[in-house]
Amino acid sequence: MRAKSSSTGAVGGRWYTPWLFLVPGLTLFGVFFVWPAATAIQLAFYKYDVVTAPVFVGMRNFAHLLEDDRFWSAVRNSLILLVGLLPMSVVIPLLLAVLVNQKLRFIQVYRLIYYLPVVTSMVAVAVAWNYVFHHQGVINWMLTGFGILDEPVQYLLDPNWALAALTVVEGWKGMGTYMMIYLAGLQAIPGDLYEAARMDGANAWQRLRSVTIPLIVPYFAVALTIEMMDAMQVFTSVYVMTKGGPQDHTLTLGYYIWSAAFEQYDMGYASAMGLVLWALLIAFALLNYRLTKGRTV
Amino acid sequence: MRRLSRRALMYLLLSAIAVVFIGPFLIMLSMALKPASQPVFSFPPDLIPRPPVLTWAIEAWTAVPYLRFMLNSVLYCGVGIPIYMLISALTAYPLAVMNFRGRTVVFFLILSTMFLPGELMLIPRFLVVSDLGMADSYAGVLLPGVLSAFGIFLLRQAFSGVPREIVDAARVDGCGEIRIFWRIMMPSVRPTLAVMAIFGFISTWNSFIWPLVVLKDSSKYPISLGVAYLAGVTGTDVRSMAAGTMISVIPVVIFFIIMQRHILDGMKGAVKG
Repeated sequence: MRAKSSSTGAVGGRWYTPWLFLVPGLTLFGVFFVWPAATAIQLAFYKYDVVTAPVFVGMRNFAHLLEDDRFWSAVRNSLILLVGLLPMSVVIPLLLAVLVNQKLRFIQVYRLIYYLPVVTSMVAVAVAWNYVFHHQGVINWMLTGFGILDEPVQYLLDPNWALAALTVVEGWKGMGTYMMIYLAGLQAIPGDLYEAARMDGANAWQRLRSVTIPLIVPYFAVALTIEMMDAMQVFTSVYVMTKGGPQDHTLTLGYYIWSAAFEQYDMGYASAMGLVLWALLIAFALLNYRLTKGRTV
Repeated sequence: MRRLSRRALMYLLLSAIAVVFIGPFLIMLSMALKPASQPVFSFPPDLIPRPPVLTWAIEAWTAVPYLRFMLNSVLYCGVGIPIYMLISALTAYPLAVMNFRGRTVVFFLILSTMFLPGELMLIPRFLVVSDLGMADSYAGVLLPGVLSAFGIFLLRQAFSGVPREIVDAARVDGCGEIRIFWRIMMPSVRPTLAVMAIFGFISTWNSFIWPLVVLKDSSKYPISLGVAYLAGVTGTDVRSMAAGTMISVIPVVIFFIIMQRHILDGMKGAVKG
């Protein structure tokens, strides 16, 4: 069919009608997505400090990546975050969703409370957790009180603890999102499936394993995709709580890219790192797709 | 009897978990309200302010132009979100209900941006915005955010679900395309628009990294940046910092409590597609 033919299918109008609707969106798409993405790819091959004109440097930014220890710690830290956040985006939120899916009075209030960290800003969350992690804060009080620690720890200043502390904050803030995704999944499961399982004598655990989990695999796929996108781009918590320290122990890819661009004004190098991050995200998305595809019921 | 105690245990468990999620906020709230005579930190924690004072809240409110930051955030939300909804709808509508060449290509191009890392786009977007003369301006903060693949995706699903008969009937009655879109399609997808408004509000109110990059002039800061700015001004004064942070959280929490029943519906719609 030629594009010019007057029929535009179910909805009438001329051939250009859809494009008239698309003009504002596509314009913004071009200006704020296509143009910047093209610029980013181009910049990765330049040295550019915003003040002087860009200089073409070929693959030098990428060569620098390979020998930059800070870049590799950033990659490592981001991957540790990604893995560390998995229990807090897969296992715990699923259990939370099962809990808040019960028909109980006031259950809506609990859902609300568990979701609260999601709606508050990361800045506020990070400020609050600074106090929780304070050396005289509540965590030190509990851990020393139970005899798990001999003395209070400065979690955010201690190389052994800082990344773990950051993972806890990120995980805590995100759990509500995943819980809601699973809750939506649970509510889409027909109740008679549980009835049937119950008739066959399945206990609660067996029902979870053989009915619930297989049916929410598509929701796992969504949750995992969001988790890896978020984990690989952690920035605000680092900015507010640790600035990447101590000694780069919480330097994430997101923070390093920002810092290279807007503290060191090395736009080319930052863009090269950004491209690597992009490649990683696409790789993870494909991996995730392969892992969860075919399992969909 | 056994039933009753099981239920009590369930509430106990639910409440214990609730403490984990609300605890850090309560600690911050208590710090914000404690009088100077009461230590901020202590073993064991002493969370009840005796008596609660507003000294620190007032100090935070006046140390930096907090009201201004709040109004800026209201402006970013109030102007940005309607534009976001309108543009998403205009874009999603033909993708959902019209057959034309390039439809699939356009849709997948837009979807593919979901995997663009924000940090990669930060630099070139900053350069683009500067080239357009919008650096350090309200427009520079607003405009890049008004197009999101997520919104277009949600609305495309919603528009596809509107029964064709309604549209056909309207056309028989001689309705034009714009009228059909505005008078028939937009009202039909109102629940989806509500969900977009909620998530749009939450993410705009909390947005941090983009305004941080675009804005030099602190008088245009949204409240989320204002909190970080307050940290720079108050330095080590944890009490006013806690109070200022608490103030920034309250509007979004109230908004969320009012709107919360739409959120689960939104999640269902988003995942189903």
